[in-house]
Amino acid sequence: MSTSAIVFMAGSWTFVLGLTFWSFYKLLQDKKHFDPDGIGPAVPPKPGETER
Amino acid sequence: MASSGSGNSHEAWGSRIGLILAMAGNAIGLGNFLRFPRQAAANGGGSFMITYFIALLLLGIPLMWIEWGIGRNGGRYRKGHTPGMFAAIWRHPAAKYVGAVGLVVPLVVMIYYTYIESWTAAFAWFSLTKDYWGHTTQEGMIGYLQSFQAISPEGAPVYHKPWTPYAFFIGTLFINIYVLSKGISGGIEKLAKIGMPILFLFAIVLAGVVLFLPAQPGIGATPWQGLEFIYKPDYSRLGEPGVWLASAGQIFFTLSVGMCTLTAYASYLSKKDDITLNGIATAATNETAEVVLGGTIAIPAAVTFFGVSGAMAIAQGGSFDLGFATMPVVFQQLPFGNLLGVAWFGLLFFAGITSSVAMLTPITAFFREEFGFKRETVAWSLGALCLVFGLMHVYWLEHGVLDEWDYWAGTFGLVVVAVIEVILFMWIFKPNKAWESMHQGADIRIPQIFKFIMTYVTPLYLLFILGWWGWVDAIPILLNEKSAGGGVLDPANTPYITFARAIIVLFAITAVVLIKMAWARNKYDDRKGFVEVDRSGEGA
Repeated sequence: MSTSAIVFMAGSWTFVLGLTFWSFYKLLQDKKHFDPDGIGPAVPPKPGETER
Repeated sequence: MASSGSGNSHEAWGSRIGLILAMAGNAIGLGNFLRFPRQAAANGGGSFMITYFIALLLLGIPLMWIEWGIGRNGGRYRKGHTPGMFAAIWRHPAAKYVGAVGLVVPLVVMIYYTYIESWTAAFAWFSLTKDYWGHTTQEGMIGYLQSFQAISPEGAPVYHKPWTPYAFFIGTLFINIYVLSKGISGGIEKLAKIGMPILFLFAIVLAGVVLFLPAQPGIGATPWQGLEFIYKPDYSRLGEPGVWLASAGQIFFTLSVGMCTLTAYASYLSKKDDITLNGIATAATNETAEVVLGGTIAIPAAVTFFGVSGAMAIAQGGSFDLGFATMPVVFQQLPFGNLLGVAWFGLLFFAGITSSVAMLTPITAFFREEFGFKRETVAWSLGALCLVFGLMHVYWLEHGVLDEWDYWAGTFGLVVVAVIEVILFMWIFKPNKAWESMHQGADIRIPQIFKFIMTYVTPLYLLFILGWWGWVDAIPILLNEKSAGGGVLDPANTPYITFARAIIVLFAITAVVLIKMAWARNKYDDRKGFVEVDRSGEGA
C-alpha cells in the first residue's frame, strides 16, 4: 500500500473507532442523568456537569 | 384538544443497550457492506473519504440528532408517526399532511427492501447446500443470480424452480412481520440483541479471512491492494460535484436518516432519557460497521481474485454483482467456502432485517395511536399489503419497477423528508427550543458549533443536494428521458414504471385521507397542539 492510502485508511479507522469507543465508554459508565425530574435544564449543561 | 389519541400503545424500550443496538441495527444495512466500498472505489478513494467525513459531520450526525429530537418530542404526546410529530412541532393544519411523506416513504422502501433481503436468505441457503458450486466465473454466477431472479435472457440455462424467489420473499416477509407484531421491546429489541452480535461476529470473521488471503496464482494481487484501491487518494476528484454528492448520498443511506424510522424509535423514549450520547453512539457504531468492516471485505476479496482492473470492472457493474456474483466465486476457492458464504449472506441478512423491521414502525404507530388497533392486527394487515405489492417486484423485476421505487422513495424521498425535518425542527420550532429539547436528559453536551451547523449549514447542504438531484436525475426520470436504474429507458417498460409510480401516488393519497380521518376522529385542534402524556416511567 502507498503511504497516502495508509494515511487515509489509518485516519478513517482511527476516527470511527475512536468515536465508537469513546461513546460506548461514556455509555457504560452508566451515569445518572443530570435531569432526574425530566423537566430539563433551562440552558444546555456545561461540559463536566454531566459527570456529576 | 381532548386527548393525544385513542391507541393503547404503552410501548417502551427494555434497556439502553437494546435501544442502541436497535437504532444501530436500523442504520446498518446492506449499503454498509455492498454500497460503501463500491462508492469509495468509484469516487476517488481517499478523496471520497474526505468528502464522506465532511458529509458525516455536516449532514449525518446533525440529522441523527435532529431525528432523535423530533422523535422524542413526538413521544411526549405519544406520537410515533410523522404526521403527529410534525403537528407537535408546527401548530398549523398543513403540518399533519406534510407528515404523510413519513408514512409513505418507509412503507414503499420496506416492500422492495424485503425482497432484496430475501435474496440474502436464499443465497445463505444456496451457500450452505453448495447449490451454486461449479459456477466459478463472474459471468457464470451472474447467470445463476439471474436464474434465481427469474430474469434469465432467452435461451439461458435455468437453475431454479419458478417459485423459488417467491418462497424466499414470503418467508423473509413473514419473519419481518412476526418480529414487528411482537412490538418494540418484545420483537425489535430482541431481534437487535440477537442479530447485531451475530452480524459483527460474521463481519469480523470475514474481514479477518479476507485480509490474510494469499495472492492467487496468475493474478498476483493481495487484499492490501484492495484496500489501496479504496483508500488511495485521487485529489483531482475533490473538485467534482459528483464526488461530493456521492458521499452525501452514502451518508444518507448508511445512517437511515430521512427514513422516519429513527424518529419512530426515539418516540418510545421519555424526556428523562438521553438522546445526545445515544445518537452519537448509534452513528459511530454504524460507521465502524461501514468504514472498518464494510471496506475490508468485498473489494479486497475481489481484487485478490480478479486483480485491480477486474475488481474495477466488477465495481462498475453494481453492488449486487459484487455481493451476489463476485463473493460466491471467491468462496468457492476457499477452504470451508460454503460456511464463509453462509457468514457473508447471513451478515447481509441480519443487516437487512434489523433495518426492514424498523420501516413499518411509523405506520404501525399511526394505526395504533390514532385508531386504537391492536399491534398484531396492524402488523399482519400491513404484512398482507407488503405481500401484494412485493409480489409485483418479484414478478416484474426485469421491468424496472424496483429501481423506480428505489429512486423515488429510497433516494430522492429521503432527502425530501430530511429537508422537511430540518426546516421544521430548526427553523419553525426555532433553534433555541430545538437545542434545549435535545439536551433534556442529555448525558453529553453537543458542541455549540453544531447549533450553527444544524440551523444553517445542514439545511443549505440538503437544499443543494435536492436541487442538484432534482435537476440532474429527478426531472429526466420523471419525463422518462432516463431510467431510474441508470441508462436509457426501454420504452417497453414505460407502462410498468407508470403503474409503479401510480401506486406510490395512491399510497400518498390514502395516507392523507387516513390522517384527515384520524384528526377528525380524535378531535385534534391543529392550533392548540396535543396534550402531553406522562411517560416518565417508561423508556430505556
